[in-house]
Amino acid sequence: MLAGISFTCFSASYLVALVLEVTRLFFRSGVRGALLLLFAGGGLLAHTLYLGHRAFTQQGAILSSELDWYLLAAWCLVVVYLYLTVYHPQTAFGLFVLPLVLGLVGVARFIADPVPFPRTEAAQVWGAIHGVFLLLGTVAVVVGFAVGLMALLQAYRLKHKLPPQRGLRLPSLEWLELMNIRATKFSALMLGLGFVSGIVLNLIHDRLHVEELPWTDPIIWSSGLLLAWLVAATGFAQFYRPARAGRKVAYLTVASFVFLVLSLGSQWLLPTHHSLGGQRPGQLHDQPTSNVPGATRAGPGGGP
Amino acid sequence: MTVRMVGCSHHTSSTEARGRLAFSPGEVGPALESLRSRFPTTEAVLLSTCNRVEVYTAFDDDDAAGPTQQQVAEFLAEFHGLDVGEIFHDLFERTGEEAVRHLFSVAASLDSMVVGEPQILAQVKQAYELATSCRSTGPVTNQVFQAALRVAKRVANETSINEKRVSIPSVAVADFARNIFERFDDKQVLVIGAGEMAEETLRYLADLGARDVTVINRNAARAAELAERWQGKAYAWADLSVALAGADLVVSTTGASEPIVTLESYRAIEAERYQRGLFILDLAVPRDFDPAIGDCLNVYLYSLDDLRAACDRNRKDREREWPKAMAIVEQETARFMAELNHRATGSVIKRVKQGWKQQQDDELRRLFNKLPDLDDRERGEIRAAFERLTNKLLHPPLESLRDEAHQASHHGLVEAFQRLFKLKD
Repeated sequence: MLAGISFTCFSASYLVALVLEVTRLFFRSGVRGALLLLFAGGGLLAHTLYLGHRAFTQQGAILSSELDWYLLAAWCLVVVYLYLTVYHPQTAFGLFVLPLVLGLVGVARFIADPVPFPRTEAAQVWGAIHGVFLLLGTVAVVVGFAVGLMALLQAYRLKHKLPPQRGLRLPSLEWLELMNIRATKFSALMLGLGFVSGIVLNLIHDRLHVEELPWTDPIIWSSGLLLAWLVAATGFAQFYRPARAGRKVAYLTVASFVFLVLSLGSQWLLPTHHSLGGQRPGQLHDQPTSNVPGATRAGPGGGP
Repeated sequence: MTVRMVGCSHHTSSTEARGRLAFSPGEVGPALESLRSRFPTTEAVLLSTCNRVEVYTAFDDDDAAGPTQQQVAEFLAEFHGLDVGEIFHDLFERTGEEAVRHLFSVAASLDSMVVGEPQILAQVKQAYELATSCRSTGPVTNQVFQAALRVAKRVANETSINEKRVSIPSVAVADFARNIFERFDDKQVLVIGAGEMAEETLRYLADLGARDVTVINRNAARAAELAERWQGKAYAWADLSVALAGADLVVSTTGASEPIVTLESYRAIEAERYQRGLFILDLAVPRDFDPAIGDCLNVYLYSLDDLRAACDRNRKDREREWPKAMAIVEQETARFMAELNHRATGSVIKRVKQGWKQQQDDELRRLFNKLPDLDDRERGEIRAAFERLTNKLLHPPLESLRDEAHQASHHGLVEAFQRLFKLKD
């Protein structure tokens, strides 16, 4: 039965949840909250089963391919969305978070490589560490981006003295600023650890003479650039007090997201060894989990 | 059963008249006891707020002891030591469906002076609970008040009539301050001047937890007085820039003819603020703050005109919601009356059916005694035929009675049934 779960199951659920979120702007409903949780929760369940089934059938970790990595990032984002929606049911978080979830699922579906990363015994642990830290850092940047957009919208509304729009209730600026700062700091820490573990992983590969990544590879310097930006943004927010208030901190998180997109995009746009090998993008896909190909591929494992 | 409401409200009487008839919380219990001693079989609830004093009673239709408007007026006059002639013309009466509709409108805040104000629901609930604790409620008042609370919640959930604020201080705090600050207990509130509106705004802010209040006024004594009332600090007028540098929220209501804070004077303290968010409510006419300050980073400056515009928008929004809210009240009133009438007709229908069943059983017994050779199958067929005949004969009149139950004028038909079928209580 699990083999029958496809991308369509959970992405359609998230899409319905997003449509329900959009209806907030037009009319009130007593059942919308329950329907939202039902569709988003149902989507998350299908998403979890899909990931679990892939991990089980490919006898590997959940982060064993680029596709899994994007799907897991989307999964984490849905968990964050559900948490926020349960605790702040009147706030329109879904309007900002669900499009990003669908974006990540879309990248997984149409662009990301489904072929598992190669596994050497020595690299397996570091590959997992590398992948998990990069995943958490990415989710934090994406959450920060959504919160940053909300902060900019709220600041614009307050500056222009516009009344709160029915259905588009946003958190207070103070809360949004706090979340922006936390997202920036957390993402810098996680991506820093992910970057360091990636270096360790590459050194191991180097020593074993298997699948090592050249130090000049675009993915390394674009990741380094992203990390440098996040460290600078964190330092800026930490030591320059005005950067912690108002739109400045929101701009920092929006810029972090742009760097993230450039960094992730560089592996498809620039000649990199990081995600080469096996099939190229767009070859999976709306097929049930049992039919996902599982050939080996080159690359340093863990993250994309 | 009949529900009746006799009372006065802001629609029918002056503030003074309502003040004379109002009951303090401590007086409600004795008043209900007094009412019960006069009308022992009557259920009663007393709703007394600053905008209305209303006595709700429920009693049997044929209960001659049910209080009339005159009797309630006498009771109110006697309780407050007034002459009944003085108050009679301030009172109005609603009976039956109208009384139910009125209560539903009151609970849903559609009859309030400020439509949509949220306090009335709590006041209705409190009045009902107090009457329950005094044992003056009964099946009908329980039903109608519980329905009223349900209707109010439905109106609140399905319309935005009570979401939008319409007074300037409440709009300033609910629509704007709460969207800037997450919490208020760690914020510094600076009050410049000592106007009435500033104090009302402080009341809303205090409800949200604001504790740290600083007052500045050209008149040091007035500043000290207001600061003492709010357990805050009073600063000298010369310290305005110091206070402004530390403030998160400013409420300004001076009578100055020129801005007391110019763009230049704000720029002078801007660096000390580290661009921390500043919410300024400039409630003075003419304005106390140079409007250009509103363009500074992280400053949210609202003038009286801005807030008035927001109030007007909210008022219009409420007006747009009014028909929807009234439709809910109408729908719920019709449903409630149908349920109430169904209860009244239910017992009549039951008694008619019981009487016919009894006669049917007697006839069958007599028939089976005369035809002893019938087997069980034949007896069953005859019994079923009798039942079908009874049901067919009773169906049209009972259906008419059920239909009538949905209308207010069902009493005549119920009475006719009682007479036609010789039904006795």
